[in-house]
Amino acid sequence: MSDARATTGLVAHGLHLARAGRPVLRDAGIVLPPGRVTALVAPSGAGKSTLLRCLVRLVEPDAGEIRLDGRPVTELEATALRRRVGLVAQHPAMLPGTVADNVRHGLPDLADEAVGEALRAAGLTEGFAGRPAAALSGGEQARVGLARALSRRPEILLLDEPTAALDEAAAGRIGTTLRTLAADGIGICLSTHDLALADAVADTRATLPGPA
Amino acid sequence: MSQPLLQVVGAVGLASLAIVVAWRLGLGLARAIAVAAVRAIVQLAAVGALIALVLRVPALAVAFVATMILTAALTAGGRLRPVPGARRRAALAIGLPAVGATGALVAIGAFDATPRTVVPAAGILLGGAMTATTLAGRRMLEALHDDAATIEARLALGDPAVEALRPTVRRAVATAVVPAIDQTRSVGLVTLPGTFVGLVLGGADPADAARLQAVVLLALLAVELLAALLVAELLARAVVAPGERIRDEDELRRRGRSPSRACRGDG
Repeated sequence: MSDARATTGLVAHGLHLARAGRPVLRDAGIVLPPGRVTALVAPSGAGKSTLLRCLVRLVEPDAGEIRLDGRPVTELEATALRRRVGLVAQHPAMLPGTVADNVRHGLPDLADEAVGEALRAAGLTEGFAGRPAAALSGGEQARVGLARALSRRPEILLLDEPTAALDEAAAGRIGTTLRTLAADGIGICLSTHDLALADAVADTRATLPGPA
Repeated sequence: MSQPLLQVVGAVGLASLAIVVAWRLGLGLARAIAVAAVRAIVQLAAVGALIALVLRVPALAVAFVATMILTAALTAGGRLRPVPGARRRAALAIGLPAVGATGALVAIGAFDATPRTVVPAAGILLGGAMTATTLAGRRMLEALHDDAATIEARLALGDPAVEALRPTVRRAVATAVVPAIDQTRSVGLVTLPGTFVGLVLGGADPADAARLQAVVLLALLAVELLAALLVAELLARAVVAPGERIRDEDELRRRGRSPSRACRGDG
């Protein structure tokens, strides 16, 4: 599609995916321009998580196209794509070691200052850096997941229900963080079923058809 | 009654005792024990006759070892579904280290290069390799499910898929080799292994039997480690799809049925 090629940021359209003979995605699509927050709002089971995983090629759709800055993502090295497009899972799995080890994963030369910067951007203090990641609460781990993605300085950030494990105050801080990141030019997709959060944080809304 | 026949009758008597005890206690195992006993007699009689033939016709030794590899691959590979090509991968993981170690032991003079010694030695090493292959393979498949979130986290952070699977491979190999390590460290204290018992019963000097048993056990350590490593690496490669991602079970099943169409790959 010509408009898809012309659009900067991450654009997907016509995505279809079936598993075990059942449709998971049907004609799904999304446009994530740089510097804007898009809320992906859909009921449970509609395929929000699957769509986000398709966008970074953790799942390969049966049909459809995904482009990053006009270029099909299949033409990019998947590892490079995933450094440009960060995905934070709903309950990010912590890797062995400290919070700093997690933030530095794949970036062994990352300076302490950069680790601290990523932690602060995700709403954690630098004091978390030396703590064992596995011992943190669910909400803290969610923020470590965000810090880990931010340390790669992504162009696009995909967050799957980022406030699911957080209380209202912490969710508000994440919302503020996302607005700040968008102001820095990062395109953000926020998958959520929380309409209030979507209204408070997002510039635009996208949706998916309900479960088949 | 001849002595060999008396031995068989005595052994059948002991098995019958087990059957009666199982029946009287209502364990529900009487039939299973009877079937197992009959199978053991028939299979061992057949193998005895076959090995006697192999010892008379050395060329048959190669075919016999090949059949052992095939049978081991079918057994271990059958436990590694739904991975496509599981039996082929199991054959490699079992055959390469076991045959290689057998050749090395013959080369250093641990065994004579005759069917009488090579076939049983290869059988012991193939058996160990099969066990390690099954254990490592099963552990890999379980871990791919249990560790899915961690593996995906590594992929999402930009790790190549083989790198993301490395901790899973390491743990699967470590799990598979534990029985071989325990068997080796407890030998003579907890168990008297087959090679030693067989040689002593056959009239060999116990010191020679112990030396040969040590050679077999040490070779088994290497064979089982290599078999576990090979099958874990081969399975890791089987589940990695183009685009540095891990195939899910549905994809693996489809790929197993139709190898050319199962994975769309890039594009």
